[in-house]
Amino acid sequence: MENFSEVLSIFLSVDNFIAIAAGVLIGVVVGAIPGLTATMAVALALPFTFSMEPVTAILLLVGIYKGGMYGGSITAILIRTPGSPASACTLLDGYPLAQQGHAKKALKAALYSSCVADVISNVALIFFAAYLAKIALNFGPPEYFWLICFSLTIIISISGDSIVKGLIAAGLGIIVSNIGLDAVYGSQRLTFDNYNLMDRISFVPLLIGLFAIPEIIEFYTSKVVPHVRSAVSGASLTLAECKRSLKSVIRGSLIGVIIGAIPGTGATAAAFISYSEAKRNSPNKHNFGKGEVEGVAAAEAGNNGVAGATLIPLLSLGIPGDVITAIILGAFMIHGLTPGPVLFQENLSLVYALFCGILLSSVVLLVVGNAAIRYFSLIADIPKAILLPIVLMFCVYGAYAVNNSTFDIGLMMVFGLLGFVFNRTGIAAAPFLIGFILGPMFEDNLRRTLLISKGDPLVFFRGPIAWFFIALTVASLLFAVRRYWKSRKVPATA
Amino acid sequence: MKQTDINHSEYHGRVNPNSMLGAALVILACIFIFYLVPQYIEVSGMVKNPMMSPRFLPLLAGWMVLLCSLILLVNGLLWPPKHTEAEAFHAGIPKLRWVLMLAAGAVYTMLFEQLGAITSGVIATFMLFLAHHLRHFSIYLLALLFPVVVSLLFIYLLNVPLPAGMLWE
Repeated sequence: MENFSEVLSIFLSVDNFIAIAAGVLIGVVVGAIPGLTATMAVALALPFTFSMEPVTAILLLVGIYKGGMYGGSITAILIRTPGSPASACTLLDGYPLAQQGHAKKALKAALYSSCVADVISNVALIFFAAYLAKIALNFGPPEYFWLICFSLTIIISISGDSIVKGLIAAGLGIIVSNIGLDAVYGSQRLTFDNYNLMDRISFVPLLIGLFAIPEIIEFYTSKVVPHVRSAVSGASLTLAECKRSLKSVIRGSLIGVIIGAIPGTGATAAAFISYSEAKRNSPNKHNFGKGEVEGVAAAEAGNNGVAGATLIPLLSLGIPGDVITAIILGAFMIHGLTPGPVLFQENLSLVYALFCGILLSSVVLLVVGNAAIRYFSLIADIPKAILLPIVLMFCVYGAYAVNNSTFDIGLMMVFGLLGFVFNRTGIAAAPFLIGFILGPMFEDNLRRTLLISKGDPLVFFRGPIAWFFIALTVASLLFAVRRYWKSRKVPATA
Repeated sequence: MKQTDINHSEYHGRVNPNSMLGAALVILACIFIFYLVPQYIEVSGMVKNPMMSPRFLPLLAGWMVLLCSLILLVNGLLWPPKHTEAEAFHAGIPKLRWVLMLAAGAVYTMLFEQLGAITSGVIATFMLFLAHHLRHFSIYLLALLFPVVVSLLFIYLLNVPLPAGMLWE
């Protein structure tokens, strides 16, 4: 009871409600603008959270994440341009519906299925995160070492077209994460006697540089694309259509939850699996791909079911499931919190206040999403030529805000150029970020294990939990490589 | 026959980007492993186990980059990538456009403290609007308005002390 009142005292604050509403709104708006991604929005919002309470800060970022997931589907339906890769599946039926004059129906189906999936995903998070954290309390440094190794295997899943390029990016991320003073011996690593580099590379300039600046450079170094106007028209969703789609939505949500809880699998896979399952089981399977409401609902349920579930490994084990949760992990650290079992032990009230906020965000998504459908044309019709200079201003001010230093602005520009080079050479930026975040964790747990065992490497192979994670790492590697080869074979044979 | 010619022209006579990237990364990785790590990462005399050394992880990552770069280099030579639509999309961009973009970046990077957040924001935003040949005068008013609003937002709402610049101090 005492804990309950503490949770309420943390959660029931005006700031939290504003953060959730603002977060979802920003997410939907950014997600709805082609070329701007939810990842970019979360990265840009991070500097704004410095002066906030930890719960408020995390809720703002989670709100943007969830809003961005839905926002991406709006452009997929209206102008056949998915705001995020996860929304690519939504356009298969969403765009044909819009062309038939049923854009409103498609948008409503996407919104309602997103909200249902989000609630199911949040409930799964609340039930499973605490259990997993309880198990993780038995982990020592060797178990954590293997857990980090397992997490590193997500690099393969997020490497894009080339595993080799993904590994190069991850290696570069690990190297950059090593710049600064060594945590154990205090020796300088690649600082070149520059005092700005002694305290490691700041997370925020790196993040903004890698995910926001390349979009801006890309825009000014590409041909001008005519601005596409959008229109929301047609009748709304009927109750009969809702009922018809319900089964697919629930199935898709559960698929999203399972896939989201596995690090590195991602919302795109969940959306496509959910869609294909819905198609396989639907009585209207012949209409899929031609403008079927159930198809839109299934795809959106799949990709939004992932949102809450990706927070399960983050909160309970302290490992990120995708790029956005990697940024949220960074936000936890900036606020002096380390996600994982210790967070449940020492800040249980904070965790449950977060859960309350995350649940509330689903309701807010419903309200904001409805408004977005109505006023969407106004939002999406802001040309990039006006929007991106303002985004750059936010980037610069945000990078400066970390240490009140122009060095960080320069750092952001350097990482922006690196991100641009990555874009042009087909290297995914996400493995770089994962390497940057997990590199120090890997080193820390490796050293702690060796210190405890006085240098005996056999300690890494003692105990069933260590072997469980070794098996999981190997299986994850094999599965990811197999999926990669399969995905390469499909276009080759097509 | 015609089909063969088209496919041949897609590959022939082009510098292979993957091989170039691989070669550049091989050189950079070698500089890192054989020069930067020995010169710029100190190892304390207390370190007994090489896996505990401050050089262990950077070297591990460096070797991984070197190995993958070699694979990329060889892979690029064996299977040259095709000419893509994206390359045509990036060709023939007016010089002024990206020069103004670079200038705006330079204003932010080098003159942010000297000019102040608002002035540098106004100049850079103005340059970027100009780079895109925006014609409406009212849009250029936004270049004045937005830096002021965003700066005030940072200073008063988020308590971030942005530089006022030498002109105003």
